[in-house]
Amino acid sequence: MTGTDFVRSRRESALATVFRFQSLFGLVAVFIAAIVFSPSRNGELLFLTSDNLFNVVRAVSEIGIIAVGMTFVILIGGIDLSVGAMLGLAAAGSAVLLVENDFGLVPAVLVVLAVGLGFGLLQGVASAVFGIQAFIVTLAGLQCARGLARIWSGGQGIAIPYGDGPGEAPVAFSLLGERTFNGLVPIPALIFVVVAALAILFLRGTAFSRHVYAIGGNEKAARLSGVPVKRVKIAVFGICGLLAALAGIIHAGQLNQGSPNDGLGYELDAIAAVVVGGTSLAGGRGSVVGTVAGALLLGVLNNILALNGVDTNVQLLIKGLVIVVAAGLQQLRPST
Amino acid sequence: MDNGVASLVGLLRISKSYGGVRACHDVDLTVRAGEVHALLGENGAGKSTLMRVLSGDLTDYTGTITVDGEPVRFHGPADAQRAGIAMIHQELDLVPGLSVAENIFLGREPRTPFGTLDRRAMLRETGNLLRRTGIDLDPRRHVGELRTGEQQLVSVAKALSLDAKVLIMDEPTSALSSAEVDRMFAVIGELRRSGAGIVYISHRMDEIGRIADRATVLRNGSVVAEFDARDMTADQAAEAMIGRPMRAMFTTHENVTSGEILLEVKDLVVPRARSGRRDPAGISLTVRRGEIVGLAGLLGAGRTELLETLFGAGGRWQGSVVFKGRSTGRRKPRSAIRAGVVYMPEDRRISGLALGHSVLANTVLSVVDRIARLGVVSRRRETAETTRIVRDLSIKLASVRDPVSALSGGNQQKVVLGRMLLTEPELLLLDEPTRGVDVGAKAEIYQLLGQAAQRGMGVLLASSELAELVGVCDRVVVLRGGRDVAELRTSQAGEAEVLAAAMGEVVAL
Repeated sequence: MTGTDFVRSRRESALATVFRFQSLFGLVAVFIAAIVFSPSRNGELLFLTSDNLFNVVRAVSEIGIIAVGMTFVILIGGIDLSVGAMLGLAAAGSAVLLVENDFGLVPAVLVVLAVGLGFGLLQGVASAVFGIQAFIVTLAGLQCARGLARIWSGGQGIAIPYGDGPGEAPVAFSLLGERTFNGLVPIPALIFVVVAALAILFLRGTAFSRHVYAIGGNEKAARLSGVPVKRVKIAVFGICGLLAALAGIIHAGQLNQGSPNDGLGYELDAIAAVVVGGTSLAGGRGSVVGTVAGALLLGVLNNILALNGVDTNVQLLIKGLVIVVAAGLQQLRPST
Repeated sequence: MDNGVASLVGLLRISKSYGGVRACHDVDLTVRAGEVHALLGENGAGKSTLMRVLSGDLTDYTGTITVDGEPVRFHGPADAQRAGIAMIHQELDLVPGLSVAENIFLGREPRTPFGTLDRRAMLRETGNLLRRTGIDLDPRRHVGELRTGEQQLVSVAKALSLDAKVLIMDEPTSALSSAEVDRMFAVIGELRRSGAGIVYISHRMDEIGRIADRATVLRNGSVVAEFDARDMTADQAAEAMIGRPMRAMFTTHENVTSGEILLEVKDLVVPRARSGRRDPAGISLTVRRGEIVGLAGLLGAGRTELLETLFGAGGRWQGSVVFKGRSTGRRKPRSAIRAGVVYMPEDRRISGLALGHSVLANTVLSVVDRIARLGVVSRRRETAETTRIVRDLSIKLASVRDPVSALSGGNQQKVVLGRMLLTEPELLLLDEPTRGVDVGAKAEIYQLLGQAAQRGMGVLLASSELAELVGVCDRVVVLRGGRDVAELRTSQAGEAEVLAAAMGEVVAL
């Protein structure tokens, strides 16, 4: 093909590459630091044991899945504060359906996912059609989802016993707390990896993803260029709600219980992962790869602090500092 | 260099590169007290870079800046302002949510003895300032509600209030009506008499001839010519700017047999942003295939609103719009584009482009779902389409993956045009397509419009530049106060007639 001469940028320097994949470099840096600071037992670094590494991925899988959905919303210049509450609604809902209503595994999961999707779509309509700011819509959505969760569950956590009898959930649901591949890979980690991979592919090459980025980059220009702005926005909130509900199902499966108070503050952890991953809160710039790296970075950090027995209050302090430093480094990104 | 007149500011061998791309190279420039020094050059020639160096906005340059003969080094715009150098940016740096007065005093608000904001003094001072510059605006109005031209006047007033010794004006008149231009020139004259020096960047040759004393021409980052602006001809300047003899600016496209009627507008009543009023008489006009129809009118005459309405991006309207023989109701931009109508908005930065995104992403945006298979966009296909547009429109760039913001204004505008053409439209609606675009790119855009018409598209072109309307269009429809007041054939009427009709004087046909 002729004319490929101006397809590749000639000007991209090594520095620019570092900035482009900043979150990946950050992840590697934190990973190396974790190895250095890792306590050891019998001459083996505790951090590097496969058990521990998979644990890190398992621990971030819920936040990670939520953060993937959050990335879509933030890319269009929005925000979704309702995801933590949605996780609670989905966890409580799963427990109620499986234990009290004796739903089968598949119907229960489908109903809960539909609730998440529908709730997200409604928020999308409120934001895109009625023009209410996403922050406000989802702040209200947060309250509504918590309220719904309490009503649905009767206001308390519901334990999930397994078995075939009435009032018992199908044993298959407990797999969410298990590991596969010879007891090596936790199922939630596997689901997270699959969700992330699908989202990465989806945001790479689809027309929909171009529309998402265009809306975040300049909503007015996107509308005047024929992008169906409202439809895309509604869909994006739907995706975010759906993934939050998925995280809620995993949560219930891992803990063998569902409570309307589950997922408290998860929205902030998810936003932190997205931001550390280099996605701009202004919209139009960022990636799911970054978000995954951001979630893992925060996960590794949590893990190594816990392994060293650092006080949880100090952990919070360090996590906060890391988020600020990551966001600060992004300001150094060369601008054109 | 010093012919007895004190030079306020001197630039000596200034060079500045952006990651290997040379924007300015060994540029010398002086500004003397009481002169208007025009800085000419195509977009991308280095004018803006040079002025950003002088105004302290860019600090990593090589070379020397002198103020009153003393070498200085600015570490930011605040330093430059303290040294008496102020700049009116092409991208207006006003805060839309603040009032006119608050914008003018931003960062140096007057205080009462109690330390609180002295609103009354602020409004009074602003009122005086606006009166002095002949700008008819309420200081309490929010800047966001103002039209681009009015915002431009506010930023001039703001610069004046700084009492600068050297004032840099980057295309200050691009959105002004001719009456407002006259007012601004009066203000410039006053400044000059008070001993200030002015660097004046403009693409309008007629303005340079009227206002400037000296002119320096930049090409590819270097000074290529200096003129006494009073004896400089437009052809001389243009030749220096583009580095070769000037072709005919307006390629007369023959429109011997105009085609069938493409668009017929009857009694279209649109709400006008400025007054919110509707003129019950409305607008009527037709556009045929192969025809370029101009839309003339002063600020607020309803040109933008008409185009927005036809594209489905405006507010409520009444009347009848028939496109390709079919009556159209209310619709969205998306369905307009499907039907074959495309629109170039007035301000590419605000509503045309996602500036941080790549040329490629911006170019294919309107067709990205059409060239996708099962929702997946083929990289090869979109690269091929973009490359074709880049070639057809001769857009100058290093890589289609570069952000649009790295391109010059003219090339940015061509990206918008390219995006429109990719949809294979039948009717082009253009609002000020050559604003802030240099001569070379202007001529190219005109040529592209001519080609579009020749291929059977209809073009409706709104512009404040009379020369453009008369030079490019077959017919010009003049709007005033939300209605069409005259229709002139450009083969018979000239700029004077168009202007007279727009201003409401009796037109002798």
